[in-house]
Amino acid sequence: MTNAIEMRGIRKYFASTQTLAVDGVDLAVAPGEVHALVGENGAGKTTLMSILYGMVSPDEGEIFINGNRAHIKHPNDAIRNGIGMVHQHFKLVPSFTVAENIMLGIERNRAGFVNSRAESDDVRRLAAEFGLAVNPNQRVADLPVGMQQRVEILKTLQRDARILILDEPTAVLTPQEVNELYTVIRKLADTGRAIILITHKLLEVKAAADQVTIMRRGQHIGTYPVAGLTVNEMANQMVGRTVLLDVEKTPAQPGDTVISAENLLVAANGGVPAVFGVSFEVRRGEILGIAGVSGNGQTELVDAVAGMRPVESGEIRFLNQIITNCTVRERRIAGMAHIPEDRMDTGLNLKTTLDENVISTAYYREPFSRGWRFQFEEVRAFAQRVIDSFQIKSASVKGSIRTLSGGNLQKIVLGRELEGHPKFIIANQPTRGLDVGSIEFVHKTLIAARDAGAAVLLISVELEEIMSLSDRIAVMYEGRITGILDGETATEQNIAILMTGGSLDDAVHAGAVS
Amino acid sequence: MNEHTGFRRSLETIGVALLAIFLGLLASSVFVIIAGSNPVDAYQRLFCEGFGARGCETFGNLLVQTVVNEDTGESQTVFSPLHGTGGHSLALVLERATPLILTALSATVAFKAGLFSIGMDGQFVLGALAAAFLGYWFPAQLYTLFGVTDPELAPEALKTIMHIIVPAVCLGAAMMAGAFYSWIAGYLKVKLNINVLISTIILNAIAVQFVGYMVNYPLRSDMNNIARTARIDETAWLIPFNRGLFANADIEWFSGSRLGVGFIIAVVAAVLVWYFLYRTTRGYEQRMVNGSPLFARFSGIPGTHAMLRAMLISGALSGIAGAIEVIGVERRIVDGFATAGTGFDGVLVAILARESIVGILFVAPFIAGLEQGAINFQFGNLPRQLGNIIIALIILFNAMEYFLRSYIAAIWRKRHIFSGKSITPAPTEASS
Ligand SMILES: Nc1ncnc2c1ncn2[C@@H]1O[C@H](COP(=O)(O)OP(=O)(O)OP(=O)(O)O)[C@@H](O)[C@H]1O
Ligand SMILES: [Mg+2]
Repeated sequence: MTNAIEMRGIRKYFASTQTLAVDGVDLAVAPGEVHALVGENGAGKTTLMSILYGMVSPDEGEIFINGNRAHIKHPNDAIRNGIGMVHQHFKLVPSFTVAENIMLGIERNRAGFVNSRAESDDVRRLAAEFGLAVNPNQRVADLPVGMQQRVEILKTLQRDARILILDEPTAVLTPQEVNELYTVIRKLADTGRAIILITHKLLEVKAAADQVTIMRRGQHIGTYPVAGLTVNEMANQMVGRTVLLDVEKTPAQPGDTVISAENLLVAANGGVPAVFGVSFEVRRGEILGIAGVSGNGQTELVDAVAGMRPVESGEIRFLNQIITNCTVRERRIAGMAHIPEDRMDTGLNLKTTLDENVISTAYYREPFSRGWRFQFEEVRAFAQRVIDSFQIKSASVKGSIRTLSGGNLQKIVLGRELEGHPKFIIANQPTRGLDVGSIEFVHKTLIAARDAGAAVLLISVELEEIMSLSDRIAVMYEGRITGILDGETATEQNIAILMTGGSLDDAVHAGAVS
Repeated sequence: MNEHTGFRRSLETIGVALLAIFLGLLASSVFVIIAGSNPVDAYQRLFCEGFGARGCETFGNLLVQTVVNEDTGESQTVFSPLHGTGGHSLALVLERATPLILTALSATVAFKAGLFSIGMDGQFVLGALAAAFLGYWFPAQLYTLFGVTDPELAPEALKTIMHIIVPAVCLGAAMMAGAFYSWIAGYLKVKLNINVLISTIILNAIAVQFVGYMVNYPLRSDMNNIARTARIDETAWLIPFNRGLFANADIEWFSGSRLGVGFIIAVVAAVLVWYFLYRTTRGYEQRMVNGSPLFARFSGIPGTHAMLRAMLISGALSGIAGAIEVIGVERRIVDGFATAGTGFDGVLVAILARESIVGILFVAPFIAGLEQGAINFQFGNLPRQLGNIIIALIILFNAMEYFLRSYIAAIWRKRHIFSGKSITPAPTEASS
């Protein structure tokens, strides 16, 4: 049988960053196959797929679609060849409706006007066909990420994609949404479509893919049937060394309370309350994990603690000072650090250089500046230190960060937030989009910070991450903390019950004060 | 700490600009042909009038020119930009570019903070009004204070001091007037989230009407049939080069122009603005607010202050521009000054220069030269508006940056293939 796609000897060198992003890679995917593409951050996965999708032109190499040589110079060529791509960072128009986004560029018109009724019907039909329920008339800006992703997938299907590229589709999804996505993917493969799946979650590779191709530093390391490879083997091949998938940590030795929240009431963007009377405390040398399906008030809670959202009522104390109404800067000066959920818009300024990004929280004080004047030597040294200690690949102090891979961007945020030895760290989805090696690194860093006496508030939709890192686990459901469990004894089942609003009569209540 | 890294990128930017100029001229030739003239001849006249030395006839003359020495009758070849006999039009170009540089800097400071303020016009005319009033009124007060009845007979010492103090007071007042006016728009933005573009358009209209009224009624100095304010006192002047520094050197290059201290102020302002934006923490704050307001808030960068500061600086620069135009060039405000739109030309310069400070120093004289060439230009039955048409078309083509850039990138790629290198530099590829 001919392969749906075959890429041969693809090579791409980026002169601007002097990176050989893809170095002679071959990739073949058969129809009906789910093919996983894995590799460290910056290994060249996105670049390889951008080449297939016509967004980047390769220096060398050939592409065959269904056995025929294809010249893909532009995404339009790719679409014509039946290739669809869902990007790592979605490319939807937020102010448009679902139907408008899906039909963008292929609008149904009547006498030159968009026929929105027909468009909605089309979308509804398409959605029903693939079991991807969406409301065609809703604005994309109002949709949760899981839904936005469905829209992206529908968009490719509307254009008749036979080859579907999904770049880290699960990085932002809840476990529930992940399961739904894989059901859809399998269904699409069963209709004879070829699916290429980029992911950092090796367990998902095991669960969902047929074949896996491993890349390292632009090179093709190997392609294997998934069944013949364990997760550990995959990880080791990716990184080129043995990776510890399990977190090693000693029991916490909590000290005094660093931060505490009392009866917090916080409103969401529209003014509707999203957090109802939440209380918690985090002590020195302890990691408090907050588990929960995303959208249950975690974002609002974190924003309130970090000073980015006003508190309606209640009190936050940080090192025995009431900081409920303090500014972000005052909180940061007092020793708070914050790894935000969204690195693209909140955590980083993609329009500027690396050095200007890593000093954004401390630029106004020594050693980075004196009065109005920057101390460029210090800035430079600090940026270089972040690059070195977080191993940010193909980055330079004065370089633009726009072209860095997703994982490397996250490392810049981590570098900035953790280099200053904060007393309290809010880590909101700190390993989203990171490769196994980097996850290991981040976990180690957070635990090291804890052991050095920092209090850590960890928010993650990855239950596993919460369970392996947290000393205590608070579960949020509909804006309330439904229970606080001891990290050692909590079970996945107990957390899952609390996450869905159930109650645990027999569970160990670590309580607000244990 | 600049955003554009790499020599190639700068080269490309210059390439885009040159290509846009070429295409703008090419497209404008349609109008020249419709008017029944030969575009090459017309452009030669235009550029010679705008940028050439006396006697410039062809494009080539813009660089080298053969001149006849009147005394000896010998002819010799000279490098024409430096050939100043009878005054050089470049001196006039720089005189005309001075307010453009300052208003373009003003626009750039606002743009870099993410504020699309086009209030330069209003700030410019208010600055001019402040300078025109003080340049007349303040010296009169000083003379009264020191009991001088006839300014002609004022003691030299007093005059010397006044030559320094009065222009400084005019510039300072204009700066404050412009800064305050710009601050209003900033305040409306910060407190009520009113779009700066819209508020500055309205503020411009108000300022222009106000200055028109002041010139026609309260400050009207005489019954001349075009309303005008009183001529400012001589001590308020910014000294032009051909009367001050180089008065004795008798450098002909400057003669006929009022190019002077004002131009130096503009260049110094450019250096200071660059230093402020890229070398100080306050400039950094402003640029970060622009990059992403969420990011600024998250990092604890005081965005409100940064925006207000940007608006104040922006307004001050435009105010100075207005003052220089009055005390350095015009000496008074004549009716119609306010509606000339000099401030808005600065916005165009800033856009054309892509908010680059070095770019402004090149683009402002270029635009000034085109405008000047078009004004002096008499060619066949071509209208004087030709200059504006060309400028508009260049701006249009310049806006097609993305397209032009990929065109230039394609040329690069070809060159590399021909030279046998396998590495393909590709600058503008999208990637996640
Ligand atoms: N347009 C570009 N210009 C310059 N360098 C680039 C460009 N795009 C990617 N790179 C570099 O090429 C390398 C590969 O990047 P790519 O985005 O393909 O990695 P990735 O495997 O998708 O990583 P991640 O898992 O973090 O998303 C990186 O080092 C990146 O900085
Ligand atoms: Mg990627």
